[in-house]
Amino acid sequence: MSGSPLLRFVGRRLLVAIPVIFGVTFLTFVVVSHLPGNAAQQLLGINATPQELHQLSAQLGLDKPLLTRYGDWLHGLVTGSLGHSLASGQSVTSILGSDLPVTFELIAYALLLSLLCAVPVALLAARRPNGLFDRTSMVVSMAGLSIANYVLALLLVYIFAVKLNWLPALGWVPPGKSLSGNIKTLTLPAISIALSLMCFYTRLLRSDLVGQLQGEDYVITARAKGAGTWRILVHHTLRNSVFGLITAVALNLGTLLGVTVIIEQIFGLPGIGHELLSAINSRDVPVIEGAVFVFALLVVLANLVADVLYAWLDPRVRYGGAS
Amino acid sequence: MAARAELTVPGALAPVAVGPAPAAAGRLGRLRAVGGIWVPAFLVAAIFFLCFIWPLIGPVPKPTGGSILDANLPSFSPGHLLGTDATGNDEWSRLLYGGRASLEIALAVNGLGLLFGGLLGAFAGYVSGWRDNVIMRVLDVLIAFPSLVLAVAIAERLGPSQVHAIWALLFFSIPAFARIARAATLRVREQNYIVAAGLSGTGHTRTLLRHIAPNILPQLVTFAFLGMGITIVLEGALSFLGLGIPPPAPSWGNMIAAGQGILSAQPKFTMLPSAALFITVVAFNLLGESLRARGDR
Repeated sequence: MSGSPLLRFVGRRLLVAIPVIFGVTFLTFVVVSHLPGNAAQQLLGINATPQELHQLSAQLGLDKPLLTRYGDWLHGLVTGSLGHSLASGQSVTSILGSDLPVTFELIAYALLLSLLCAVPVALLAARRPNGLFDRTSMVVSMAGLSIANYVLALLLVYIFAVKLNWLPALGWVPPGKSLSGNIKTLTLPAISIALSLMCFYTRLLRSDLVGQLQGEDYVITARAKGAGTWRILVHHTLRNSVFGLITAVALNLGTLLGVTVIIEQIFGLPGIGHELLSAINSRDVPVIEGAVFVFALLVVLANLVADVLYAWLDPRVRYGGAS
Repeated sequence: MAARAELTVPGALAPVAVGPAPAAAGRLGRLRAVGGIWVPAFLVAAIFFLCFIWPLIGPVPKPTGGSILDANLPSFSPGHLLGTDATGNDEWSRLLYGGRASLEIALAVNGLGLLFGGLLGAFAGYVSGWRDNVIMRVLDVLIAFPSLVLAVAIAERLGPSQVHAIWALLFFSIPAFARIARAATLRVREQNYIVAAGLSGTGHTRTLLRHIAPNILPQLVTFAFLGMGITIVLEGALSFLGLGIPPPAPSWGNMIAAGQGILSAQPKFTMLPSAALFITVVAFNLLGESLRARGDR
């Protein structure tokens, strides 16, 4: 692995990431195997005889030792298969393939909403630090950061679904069927996720903008040329501050996956979080493992992308071997 | 690195520092800075008083075991300030006892998280090398591990309860505290007094406990206040999903979950615990934020 420092940096980070993914998936196996009852028990129900139970367990391979099962799963992973659902027999890849787009669309919608609001608000706030708009937006964003997403979700359902009847409270319309229906069903869930993100990004971007305005040489140069604060903010400072924002967005992707679990549950969206919850309930180990694997992979990749983007976008940052 | 660690607290978004504290210009600036810490501090104290002491000394009925004859009383009924729920339990009392459960869990999680995470992170940062690498990779695994699987596993294996909710939440708070402690230790380690301690023959354990720990503690305590808000929200989420405190014992999370079913008919039962949760989290966030602004100065 020689050549560009960026490649070496990515390579090193990937090498570090592999044990993390092994650790997460193995820990999941251990944790799930300690749950009372297995998939055979859940499939057969409470009236199953011990004999039936034993037979189905053997058939599903649940009687093998833990390490053997993990080894089998890893072997499948290397050959590109995540196994088959114990409950439905469907391949895990196809289950995840139908769930992931829902979750990704939700996250993309929420990120879009939050950034569309955060950037102009942060710019306006940074124009006059400690001015009326700045103070108001900081108070509002602190309040927004303190609302739990499940509380906000119920509040939104009460206002927009129950009282005003503008948007549906439950359900999911595929985009292929009706694009406007699809966006309608996703709007309330997306806002529930987006509000705290928006407040977070507003504060992050605003503090970075203000810091740059106060201390950077290029701002002084621009001022000497006679550029107004607004022009400096939009044309010069925003470009520099956006690096930090992009890094924060990438880092957030990991935590967002966790947030979507509860939001998908409240709004009845058939995403990966919803799938994970029901798979845990039916002890459907391959589906749990598949979902956990995808989660862990995305968290690790998001962190990697954040680091690489930061270094790539901002030439001042070096991928130092020492640090 | 510190900001990084806070960013990756699973399930919740830690508030970020809003840059340098506003310049304390004259008397007004000073007054503002003082009000900035006393207002949230007073709010937190009031919440603790209401949840822990008021039920002992005030006219607060029991939160469970209400009579069905008193069911669904409206707010401001005699003896029931906020009315009663469908089983005749006093809503005001359930709010206070629910808050008590949330605060107990948050205190335990952040106290234990600070202690164990702080020691672990300080140790990793101080010894560096392979031991640092091993500890941080294990913590990476815990951070990347989906919180929900663990919470469900603990709730199903051991039964949902307050203590088990603490166990589940500790898995997120220890790595967060450890990352912050490690970053702070890396900064402190290069200071002259640590070098001097080493040269004068101070042992590693003593250096760690007597010289490093006191210097990274303020940062950890500041994070603990922000962590209180995060933990209260997460505990609410666990109880909301039925993995935390089991009904009929009240918790804000399970009260919100119970209210969800009757949201359109009686929004009160969702809105009251939601408001309590919100006010408490705001108070802790403001307190943590102003402490941090103070530390940055």
